[in-house]
Amino acid sequence: MKTVIEEKNGVVVVSAQGELDTDTCAQFQRDIEPLMERKDTKVELDLSKLDYMSSKALRIIVAFQQAVVKNGGAFSITKVTDTVQEVFDMTGLSASFFRN
Amino acid sequence: MKKRISDSPRLLIILLLALYGLLTTGVTLWVLHDSLEQSYSLNYDDLEDDLKTLAPYLEYLMDKEDEDCFAYLEFISKVQHEEEEYSYVVRNKDGEVIAPSFAAGRPLKMKQIRQINKKGTCWLADVWGGRCFVIIHPFPTRPLELIGVYDYDYIFGDRQETARDFILVLALLFLLLLVVSWFWIIPATERILERKRRAENELNEARALQQKAVTTDFPKNTYFDSHAVLLPAREVGGDIYRFGIQDGKFQYVIGDVSDKGTTAALLMFTISCYIHSRTRGELPVRDLMKELNNLICDNSEYGMLCTLFLGHIDQETLVMEYCNAGHTRTLVNGEFLEQDAQLLAGLDREYPYHSQTVQLHHGDRLLLYTDGVTEARGEDRSFFGEKRLQAWMKGLDPAISSEEACRSLLDTLAVFRGSAVQNDDIAIIYIKIL
Repeated sequence: MKTVIEEKNGVVVVSAQGELDTDTCAQFQRDIEPLMERKDTKVELDLSKLDYMSSKALRIIVAFQQAVVKNGGAFSITKVTDTVQEVFDMTGLSASFFRN
Repeated sequence: MKKRISDSPRLLIILLLALYGLLTTGVTLWVLHDSLEQSYSLNYDDLEDDLKTLAPYLEYLMDKEDEDCFAYLEFISKVQHEEEEYSYVVRNKDGEVIAPSFAAGRPLKMKQIRQINKKGTCWLADVWGGRCFVIIHPFPTRPLELIGVYDYDYIFGDRQETARDFILVLALLFLLLLVVSWFWIIPATERILERKRRAENELNEARALQQKAVTTDFPKNTYFDSHAVLLPAREVGGDIYRFGIQDGKFQYVIGDVSDKGTTAALLMFTISCYIHSRTRGELPVRDLMKELNNLICDNSEYGMLCTLFLGHIDQETLVMEYCNAGHTRTLVNGEFLEQDAQLLAGLDREYPYHSQTVQLHHGDRLLLYTDGVTEARGEDRSFFGEKRLQAWMKGLDPAISSEEACRSLLDTLAVFRGSAVQNDDIAIIYIKIL
């Protein structure tokens, strides 16, 4: 599990890579924590290099989204692998993250 | 419970220090072994003779009144007449001869003469080879006399000096260790152990809570045969199930709080109690889901989400009405049930949950489970997955009891996992329609 955070043209691109499972969730949470406190931040979560995501990780992603929006920012998920998409579909979260 | 040594850091430290003490004493004795042997074979007569021979030179040195007087007895030659004769010269610390050379009838082992007392009243002479003596001369007017022979080499000899330093260092280290361990290591270890104990207790309590929260009295009647298993992971999670037969309906709820630890267990317990109180009444499936969703939203300060799958089977019509909130896909006879993906509970209070229905038949078997099953990992980190689960159910003898079916699945999972650790709770409900 690796988190790459890059800022491009005012957008913070967070790329979660590898496997986001029960063991690595805590690390991912620590990695994104500073972003959750930033004001008016546009965050794009790139999950194209995420091979696996446990449903436990959803809690962190949802909290991440809520924190960013609450601080006046915008949050979207771009590029998702099929396996990760399945988790979003199964938990009914696709609608709230992938409106388009 | 049996008390282990590791539970008592003080005892452990004392034992370690005792071991250290024994070890260092052993090493020291070993180092000093030779010297000890030599010191026991001192020949006093020889020493007296040596002293008599040397007395004039010692007195000569004393006359110098040099506060830092320090001299060597240096062997010059050995002459063989009728008797052997050994020549010696006394040199000061700068190597200058400070007394005329003299002869002795046998080899003198004295090599160094040292003034120990600044007033020049006390002389120490070191004899190499393991022998030594002390010459005390309290008053300059009195002749030199041998007051005593001490095991001087043992205490102050070259090798012994090293040993002495060694012992000193060991003793200091010992003291340091004692002080450090007593005031720092022991309290720190005790604090850590206490924290660990507390965490373990908390974990055990959370586990107990989890086991109390799930159904243990499996309903069986002429219509249904059911069984369930909750296999908690090392770190307690939030898997939950409750089911029972009420008003001619087999009612069930299975869920998974998306976190671990005591908070997850507590939320799970709250949900369990709530279900327990609600399923007694007649409540439409989707309304129960909405109520549970509200309950979890009410506790949203914990940031918990929960997948839920709940419903009931009418024992007369065998129609199952169910509602899914982001939960794993239920298997019916090895095929996945058509389950609308609805938002997992705890996120949106207004979410319009709806229920679905399916017509079941006699002999149908249902498997409800949490993602601990499909996401169980083998030694090669691969997942058990839905396909293997499907294959397991299809390969299962439909005649076996629910209890046997649950055991079969756990065995299959254990074989798949091999030596890998179970890192998530596993909850399964197996329902047979008779």
